[in-house]
Amino acid sequence: MKSPAIEVHDLTVAYRAKPVLWDIDFSIPEGEMVGIVGPNGAGKSTLMKAILGLVPISSGWVQIRGEPISKDRSSTLGYVPQRESVDWDFPVTVLDVVLMGTYGRLGWFRRPRKAEREWAQDCLEGLGISDLASRQISELSGGQQQRVFLARALAQDSEIYLMDEPFAGVDAATEEAIVALLKKLRARGRTVMVIHHDLQTVENYFDRVLLINLRLVAAGPTREVFTRENLLFTYGGRLTVLDEAAEAVRLAHGNAGNLKRHPDAGS
Amino acid sequence: MPGLDYNTLVVLVGTVALGIAAGVTGSLALLRRRSLLADALAHATLPGVCLAYLWTGERSLPVLLCGALLSGLLGVVIVSWLPRVTRIRTDAAIGLVLGVFFGIGIALSGHIQRTVTDASQAGLDSLLLGRTAGMLFNDTVAIGVASLAVIGVVFFLRKEFLISCFDPGFGEVEGWPVLALDLLQLFLLAVTVVLALPAVGVVLTAAMLVIPAVSARLWVDRFGILMILAAIIGGATGGLGTLLSARFESLPAGPVIVLVSSSLFIISLLCAPRRGVIARALRSRSRTLNRETRRLLALLLEAKSRGKNTVPHSHLLGRERSVRRRSLDSAIARGWVQLDGDGISLTEGGHQRALRGRRALQLWHAYLEDAASIDRDLVDLDEEQIEKILPAEKVLELERLLSSRTEGGDG
Ligand SMILES: Nc1ncnc2c1ncn2[C@@H]1O[C@H](COP(=O)(O)OP(=O)(O)O)[C@@H](O)[C@H]1O
Ligand SMILES: [Mg+2]
Repeated sequence: MKSPAIEVHDLTVAYRAKPVLWDIDFSIPEGEMVGIVGPNGAGKSTLMKAILGLVPISSGWVQIRGEPISKDRSSTLGYVPQRESVDWDFPVTVLDVVLMGTYGRLGWFRRPRKAEREWAQDCLEGLGISDLASRQISELSGGQQQRVFLARALAQDSEIYLMDEPFAGVDAATEEAIVALLKKLRARGRTVMVIHHDLQTVENYFDRVLLINLRLVAAGPTREVFTRENLLFTYGGRLTVLDEAAEAVRLAHGNAGNLKRHPDAGS
Repeated sequence: MPGLDYNTLVVLVGTVALGIAAGVTGSLALLRRRSLLADALAHATLPGVCLAYLWTGERSLPVLLCGALLSGLLGVVIVSWLPRVTRIRTDAAIGLVLGVFFGIGIALSGHIQRTVTDASQAGLDSLLLGRTAGMLFNDTVAIGVASLAVIGVVFFLRKEFLISCFDPGFGEVEGWPVLALDLLQLFLLAVTVVLALPAVGVVLTAAMLVIPAVSARLWVDRFGILMILAAIIGGATGGLGTLLSARFESLPAGPVIVLVSSSLFIISLLCAPRRGVIARALRSRSRTLNRETRRLLALLLEAKSRGKNTVPHSHLLGRERSVRRRSLDSAIARGWVQLDGDGISLTEGGHQRALRGRRALQLWHAYLEDAASIDRDLVDLDEEQIEKILPAEKVLELERLLSSRTEGGDG
């Protein structure tokens, strides 16, 4: 049997003494588009970092395609960090940033050459911003910054992509470009995991969702798991969010949905 | 060159190499937001110098500098360790280490001055403020060679340093040992600080690292070019400062080097294109002018649509929310408005321009309406920018939307 793209077992992560993820268990089959949903501070970014091996794990384990995370993971894992995680006044151009996606393949001391530059340019093309290649990154709008990050991840040419809030604060045109990119990646059989904050679009974008709030509230195919009850549980009954959630679910299902928690738990 | 004896020449080569190394590691420190740490590091070297002297009892520069490196590194370790185990934040930790280490160093050097009376202790003073003239031939050669080694390491690892500075998380996913690279970068910074001690002294070493990098950053926007320019500035000001201090015996090299580079910094601050103070002021002035001109055209167009082709001066100028004299002048100069006796009216060109501006603004508002969230950079645009951003098919779509809306409103 083929091993899942990502498997997380009994995962607990703590910053100092305080756990921010507790006893998380799920697996993601290859080629799926997965949304991670949960309130602010729920531990979504931390979960992504734990899968990428960027934060120490307190207990449990993570496997990527049936193997523990290795040092050389650039061909397997592609990463789109939260946009605010870097200094956008850094003295580099758009092409420089996208080229960073090729560094892993290049290895020590080797510099990007013509082949890498052309490849990076293709990746920019894939996000419709090839004309920005020589632009200074401090001159980009928020949506353009996000596209640059996605182009860099494309340049990594990985099997599995993890994206931290790629849709946060982007304009409509950028959202369209990102959705088109996600569809292209799915068509190529890549696995994509996206932290998402807009409950209205979850049904449209993702095959599978993980609802997270410290614990895993639910995981599974979107139609089964993205229900009013599960969202209520995830968001701890916060009303404004809840109304939005209820509306989203009503639009999607036309009914209350079935309550089904941890469909993966038995497997 | 008269007066440039062999010894001065050697010192000159040494300080130029040192200045280049300081420009390079100073740029990395600037990008990692470690400029202040460099200052703490420099001050933290003083107790090491004194202890090394007390321990060995001789003024041998390599020995003193080894002591400096060790206590400087200890200071850095404490700065990074304190915030992790206590509630003290990094800025306070830096201040603390700087003050405590420097205080201990001063006390120790006072003690040495009182107890040791031979001539060799004079060397300790020079480490406080720097004195290139007192440097021995061999010391200078060693400093030059070590500086070249620092430059070489950064040169070969520039791609690796770039990714570990810009986005360490991403770098780690790509398999780079970002923590080790960061420690190496910190070590190179410490080595450069220590190498700079004999020339510029404890108090001014950080200036030698920070000023060339900050000046260069004002002019350029590329990682590699930033380091090259900072290296050039560092090398040139290091060399020039040394020459001046060799020529005028009373001037210590450290302060002269820093004065030279500070002058260059002030020129950069004023004159740099884009980031300089003057360029910024000009840009902001032209933005205001642009915005006011647009408003003037809109006001006149609106008056015209109410049948008032000419608007009296007094309605536009000198009141609140209205147009300044220089915007009016600029609109006249561009041929968009004309003076009609006491009033102002649109020319034919100005009328076209005002219509174009209104159209662009309508399209833009319609476009932003269905945007999920609005980028702050995209709010204050003029018609030319809007026309450049909106794709042609989007314009057609928006125009259909707008015309259907006005029909709906009429019917
Ligand atoms: N480096 C860190 N050190 C200490 N606490 C952290 C750190 N990063 C995140 N946290 C805490 O962990 C919790 C989860 O954070 P995060 O994973 O970023 O949540 P989310 O992405 O779901 O908003 C938050 O309470 C946050 O304050
Ligand atoms: Mg987050």
